[in-house]
Amino acid sequence: MTISLDYGGGGAKSSELIKQVRKILGGAGKWQNSGDDSASLALSKINLSKKACQNQHLLLTTDAFIVDPIFFPGGDIGKIAVCGTINDLAVMGARPLGISLSIVVEEGFPKADFLKIIKSIAKVSKEAGVPIVTGDTKVTEKGKLDKIEITTAGIGMAEKVINNAGAQVGDVVIASGDLGEHTVALLSERFGYRSRVSSDCKPIDKEMLAIGKFVHAAKDPTRGGLAANLVEMAEKSKVKIVLDENFLPYKKETIALGGLLGIDIFSFASEGRFLATVSEKDAAKVLRILKKFNAQAKIIGKVQKPVRRRGGGIYLQTKLGSLRPIEMPNGKLIPRIC
Amino acid sequence: MCLAFPGKIVALKNQQATADFDGVKKDINISLVPDVAVGDFVIVHAGFAISQLSTEDAWEVLKEYEKGTKMNHV
Amino acid sequence: MYKSEKSLPKLLSKIEKVASQIKRNVVLMEVCGTHTQTVSKNGIRSLLPKNIKLLTGPGCPVCVTAQEDIDAVVALAKAGIPIATYGDMLRVPGFFGSLEQARSQGAKVFSVYSVQEALDLKKDFPDLVFFGLGFETTTPMTAMALQNGLTVYSSHKLFLPAMDALLEAGQTKIDGFISPGHIATIIGTRPFEHLKVAQVIAGFEAEDVLVAIYLLLCQIRDGRKEVENEYVRLVKKEGNQVAQKLIWENFKICDGNWRGFGKIANSGLEVKNPELNAKIKYQNILAKIDFSQAKKPTGCRCGQIIRGTLSPKQCPMFGKVCTPENPYGPCMVSEEGACNNYLRYA
Repeated sequence: MTISLDYGGGGAKSSELIKQVRKILGGAGKWQNSGDDSASLALSKINLSKKACQNQHLLLTTDAFIVDPIFFPGGDIGKIAVCGTINDLAVMGARPLGISLSIVVEEGFPKADFLKIIKSIAKVSKEAGVPIVTGDTKVTEKGKLDKIEITTAGIGMAEKVINNAGAQVGDVVIASGDLGEHTVALLSERFGYRSRVSSDCKPIDKEMLAIGKFVHAAKDPTRGGLAANLVEMAEKSKVKIVLDENFLPYKKETIALGGLLGIDIFSFASEGRFLATVSEKDAAKVLRILKKFNAQAKIIGKVQKPVRRRGGGIYLQTKLGSLRPIEMPNGKLIPRIC
Repeated sequence: MCLAFPGKIVALKNQQATADFDGVKKDINISLVPDVAVGDFVIVHAGFAISQLSTEDAWEVLKEYEKGTKMNHV
Repeated sequence: MYKSEKSLPKLLSKIEKVASQIKRNVVLMEVCGTHTQTVSKNGIRSLLPKNIKLLTGPGCPVCVTAQEDIDAVVALAKAGIPIATYGDMLRVPGFFGSLEQARSQGAKVFSVYSVQEALDLKKDFPDLVFFGLGFETTTPMTAMALQNGLTVYSSHKLFLPAMDALLEAGQTKIDGFISPGHIATIIGTRPFEHLKVAQVIAGFEAEDVLVAIYLLLCQIRDGRKEVENEYVRLVKKEGNQVAQKLIWENFKICDGNWRGFGKIANSGLEVKNPELNAKIKYQNILAKIDFSQAKKPTGCRCGQIIRGTLSPKQCPMFGKVCTPENPYGPCMVSEEGACNNYLRYA
């Protein structure tokens, strides 16, 4: 069975689908959703004293998800949408409170695939304890969209807001695990490679919260990978970041795929990892905590004084002993033959 | 100019083979290197094996070259 | 494979020693895009002694593909003929835009990683034209596709005539070349011998490039001009004869059109079979391209810049009509090209 235009038309088929989706997604947690136009949350339900309220920040994030292929080793577009939203909040130090979900489907999309995606959303939302509190579904005419697109918004609360501009000279840079495996999964699926590596897609809120008080700057290296996200961090923090080639956070399969396709692995995306800088004295403690979540967590580099002329920037200390710049990647990941 | 990567042949069938590149497997075309066998290392360019890799290491060649026992110019 | 990382410091000190024996400035050049990558990824330039300068050559086959060829294939795509080519070609502009732009305007343009994918696409798109490009390493694959009935627009080129032209066209300040190991894998080492310049055919790991630099410096110190093979684990004297046979069964030599250099005699490869040669099959479409409408700025100095006789900023087009977003010559197309680099870093 496929999804026809009727499913988004607001009529009987629409409400039948919405009912089905709501049933799969389960309740809205502490939120109130009467099937009306918005969901509401009574602040009294999140157990805040008046004093605590003064130190709290509300964080709002939004993201649109298009993924090719929709299903890949280790996840699907639905899982990414929820993880991506939770992670955007978590990496800024917030405890996620709820997510809104808006789905646009191309006419003719298989209904079984649609429900599979919803189930995947429900699973990760339940596991993370972050409810989907409101949502919307629309159907476009065939050819006006490539299969499915998901837009989310997430709301969270933080006592200390972490951003990517706080890296300090003398900090160490920690990766919460091996990077780039989401891109490995997608590229493998697209170009016919097989390996044990699957997408690293998962929520990182628990890990982030566990070390939040030590973190000076953090970023989840999604689109643009380590390269884009650390270059941005170095620029905003006005520091130089130097990585050590002997401690790069990549599996041998990731390095091989990058070599085979001629794509720089520093631009490979992760959907369940973060990069954080902490002061050197806290590094061992932080690493001990992170290793409970992922044994591959490690220190990958250090934050140094910026070079006067070039400002920020990130560099790789190579095995040969040279220092070379790592650059901002330039867009789409296209395989090279030369 | 020509990006190519070393892999080990792990399965063979006619002109197709499966190569293992450090844990990443891919079907490749071996019609340009008809004599390869399972276990051989090849260099792969744009989906085709272009030559078999020997275990000879240039560092070894360099050492012999310096001893004057082997000239490696052709 | 090279696994002897511990040899690296030793190699660097050997290079240091020979360089000090030479007592003058030495200019070396690598001419292969993958060597360029190895050099930049390992920061090799910063490790070399002060009197050794390592230049980057004309770049990869994608960078040297002429605007006219890109425009021709774009014209085919816009006339409704499905096109398949290697992904790195899509973004490079001709005079009238790139294949990527044509695709965004609705043309059927597919990026493939292997000709096998193009052959698979042909089942759904019988008119598919493969835009074939590359040097001797990549040509055998296109030859095989031709044998399987795929129509090809050939922009394939021969590497050595270009090296000849580079060396003969004017004064060169290059003392030695790191020669491309994967081209040598196909054609063997012998064809390199007639170039009267110090050369080392090299592999693509950091160690390979350092050994090549060391061997080149030894040649220069001793006043030799020879072809040496560092890539012994792959490159054989006679090359890959199966691949060579495939090339000559399916292609014939023609003059090649090089971006930034123009025509170089006997440096191109044309499809032998007229029925599978897109330039013949679709000549009515191709004849309609009006190159008089093309904005052809004059004054590209890539030839001299590559030979090291001119610096990028001495080119009248540099940074004005020729930019990384709208590149004219190969030195600007390639991310590692002299002009592209100069503009980004200087």
